[in-house]
Order: sequence, then structure tokens, then C-alpha cells
Amino acid sequence: MPGDSRRIRGPEESRCPLLYALPESPQAPEQARTEPRPLYARAGLLSQAKGSAYIETGGGGGGTKVLSGASGPREAERRDGPGLRGARLVCEFRWAPFARLGPRCGVGTALERELSLALQESLEPAVRLERYPRAQIHVWVLVLEDRGSAFASALSAASLALADAGIEMYDVVVGCALSRGPGGCLLLDPSDRDEGRPKSGGCLTLALMPALNQVCGLLCNGEWTEESLSQAVRLCMEGCHRLYPVLQQCLVRATKRKISVPQSGPA
Amino acid sequence: MAWVRLSEAEKVYIAHGVQEDLRQDGRSCEDYRCIEVETDVVSNTSGSARVKLGHTDILVGIKAEMGTPKLERPHEGCVEFFVDCSANAAPEFEGRGGEELGTEIANTLYRMFNNESSLDLKALCISQAEHCWILYVDVLLLECGGNLFDAISIGVKAALFNTRIPKVRILEDEEGSKEIELSDDPYDCIRLNVENVPCIITLSKIGHRHVVDATLQEEACTLASLLVSVTSKGLLTGMKKVGKGSLDPESIFEMIETGKRVGKAVHVSLQEILNKEESLGKQRQKVGFLG
Repeated sequence: MPGDSRRIRGPEESRCPLLYALPESPQAPEQARTEPRPLYARAGLLSQAKGSAYIETGGGGGGTKVLSGASGPREAERRDGPGLRGARLVCEFRWAPFARLGPRCGVGTALERELSLALQESLEPAVRLERYPRAQIHVWVLVLEDRGSAFASALSAASLALADAGIEMYDVVVGCALSRGPGGCLLLDPSDRDEGRPKSGGCLTLALMPALNQVCGLLCNGEWTEESLSQAVRLCMEGCHRLYPVLQQCLVRATKRKISVPQSGPA
Repeated sequence: MAWVRLSEAEKVYIAHGVQEDLRQDGRSCEDYRCIEVETDVVSNTSGSARVKLGHTDILVGIKAEMGTPKLERPHEGCVEFFVDCSANAAPEFEGRGGEELGTEIANTLYRMFNNESSLDLKALCISQAEHCWILYVDVLLLECGGNLFDAISIGVKAALFNTRIPKVRILEDEEGSKEIELSDDPYDCIRLNVENVPCIITLSKIGHRHVVDATLQEEACTLASLLVSVTSKGLLTGMKKVGKGSLDPESIFEMIETGKRVGKAVHVSLQEILNKEESLGKQRQKVGFLG
């Protein structure tokens, strides 16, 4: 039954139910985790996009699922600004409305816009934009299910989609996230439970080009001391290096699949 | 943003200067330009500040309004940031042109203030889940001369220091209905503790070195910079890479260290100036916008 959107049918006053939930039972002292969760990546799965990638991390009991697509290079719409000499990279990062725990999240929130910009600034160093003058390249990322470290997976997925689309790049961008637990221990690749803890010390997401050893994106909030932050950056870089071979293999597999298609045609 | 265009030769000149630790205006890599801060410049606000940093000119006004706390945080008030890029600063900002930059800066401010210690939001709560103070922090960009993030964060801190929120009490009668009573004395106010309010330090990578407080010309030579937000105790409450370049891991560690050192120094001198201005009280001659 289509409702009248102007009429609010809920109670006038409402409270968040989570406030009445029992406080989490004190868990065993947390262990620092220095290994990222298992990751599955597949490139070239969408037929309509020029390049695409799907990444799933976490596994058992629902993990983070991220889908990304890339299109272009095509003629730029806006011809002003500094984009004349090289291509303009347009990035869009979105959560599906049902991606997260709790109430359905709105579309086009400030966080999505901030992360879209961060995604663009993290991918720009890796793409050879000067090879595509007066062009624009679109990348979009949709988070289907967010069980922690969604932006880190989005970074990897977006760069896989770009590579799969045949865009010239210097290196694949690998994203890795880290959160600091209540005791100050560092958890690599946190789940949404680790991320959402109220007393959690902070979160950091890092994007790395492993072959060139260049950090192309960094985003962090929370409270850190200088030592813990430096250690967190190092741990994240190690995590990126661990994930790199997985993404490389995924690209090799996707390319092999592409090459084998014409051979099986009219021979 | 208000960009300048530089030729290759000019860029090389600036980069070589930075290499030798001597910049165009005679500063070394870790020197700020002269910062002018004046608080209490707009009478219709709860707190206001104006910051001039070289040719960057920022006006911050804070209005405290009563509202309802967020559902998931019934014990806390909240702070809202809004950055308005006036077309006076750059012709590109006309109409909706400045919106993109404005939201970028506002989002960065949210990120840097999103922690337990920066501001005591519990002090802004009037009655649980019913009434709280909402601080609307409005930043107006009057002139762009490079290093917007630092100037804005200094302005926000100065304005928060200047903010006075009227004291209210909750009266409850026998039937349990509540009433908010405003104090009769207009000088009866609460003030915010700004000790842990962070300042953002932008470190711009030029050549193999990094500089703080880059001018527009230097920003044009920068491919990547790192924003580090530092509290007066040296805690880091956020970090972000901006720009289309990438950074060497080693230089990130150096930048964090420099940011912390410079940030602490900025906090010390800012607090000193704010205290001094406050001690002058009513006799202080206001400079306003003609100074």
C-alpha cells in the first residue's frame, strides 16, 4: 500500500533501541591482529561495464562485499579547469541502503561525498591520466554489505576495475584499514564490530602502490600518539603487501579468461 | 580554489629554494607567516573570530541554538560545521562554485573533531534526550592566500574560545513538567574548554622536502600534502592526504613528526594571544575589518 509520505506515522517521540541494550560482556583481552582477513577478488564480471571487479573479505558469517565498475576513457563533459592536459577521473563511492547494520542509510550523505573525493585522490597517482587528454574516466563503487573496512576494499576494487578496463596505470592500488582497540592494540582489517565500538581509539585507512612503494591515500580519525600512528601506518603497509599478490592473480585470471573467448569462437 | 598558474621555471625556482630551506618570502620550511587573530568581532554571534594569515582571510562565527540531541547520543550536544566560500575570495566561487571546496573543508573539520576529547559535548547537554545546545560553526572565506585548512582550524579554535553560552536551568514542578529558565544576568554564561581543540597543520611536499603554511605559489608546486590535526598536548586526532600525488612512506613519518612539533608551537602561541586579548577586557580597541 503506498503510504502518504507527508504523514509521519511513527510515534512523535522515539529513542534509539541500542541505548537500552545490555552493555557488551567484557571480552577476553584483545589480541593485536596483524594479518588481514581472507580476501576473494574477481575482475571482469559485469558485461556492460568496460572494467569491473568484485571483492569480498571476511568470509564466515557475512563479510564485506564491494562491487566496482569503470568506464571510459570518453570525451570530457567539462572542458574547463586543469583537466585539459590529462584525463579527469570521476569517482563515486556509495553504500547500498541496506549495507550496514542499524537503520537504512540515506543516499548522498556527506560521508559518501568525502569518501568519493578521497577515492579519487587515492587513485589519481596510480592512473596515467596524461595519456588520455581531454577525456574522463568514471569509476563507481557500490558497497553491497559493510562488515568493516569497506573503504579499504573499495580502493582495491576500484583499482582492479580500472586495470580490467585496460586503463594505463603505474601500479595497482591496494587499500588496507586498521583500527585501534580499547586497550590500544592495533587490529588490522577490522570488522564492523571492531570499528563501531564507542571507545575505539581510532581508524586508519591507507592506500598503497606496492611495486612503487608509494602511499597514495591516507585517511585517519580518532586519537593517536605519534608512535602508535607510525606503527599503524607500518602495519597497514605490511597488510597491503600481503594482499597485493591476490589482486595480481585475480587480474591475470581475468585477462586469461578474456583472451580465451575469441579462440573458442569461429576457428 | 583560487589557483595561480606558474611556469616551469617559476616552479623550479620555488623547489630549489625549498631544497635550500629558504623560501620566497625568506621563511624556512617550518615557519608560519605572521598570523593575526581577533576574537569577538561580530556582535550577533555567541563567539566569533577573524584570522588573517598572509593573504588568507577567514571569519568564523558560532551561534549556539537550542535543539534536540541526536537519537544515538542523548547525553550530548552537537557541533555543526559549515564553510561558505564567498565570491570575493575567488571569482570561481560565484553561485554554487565554492560548494565543493566548502563541503570538503567542513567534512575535514568533522573528521578532526570526531573523537572523545576534542570538545566536551556532554557539557552542551541541557536535559537528557530532550534539549541540548547545538553549536553552528559558520566559516566564511573572505580571501584565499593559501593554507586554508590551517587558518580555518585556528579561527575555529579562537571562536570556540570566545564562545559564551547562556546558562539555563531546568525547573521541575510537582506534576513533573519541566521548564527551562534562562538566567537574568546576561554575563552569566558557560564557556567551552578548548584545551584539546585541535589545529590542522598542512604539510606540503615540494621536491624532497615538506613545508608548512604554503602560499598559493607554493601550493601550485605541490603534488601531495598531508593534513595532520594536532592537539596542544601533541595528540594526533586525524590525518588525511590531499592532492593528486603520492607520498613516500618515509616522508610520511617525517611529516607526522614535523606536524606534531609545529602544531604544539602554534597552540602555545595561539593560547598566549587569546589569553592576552581576554585580559585586556573591555578596554581593548577593536581592529575590525579596516585594520
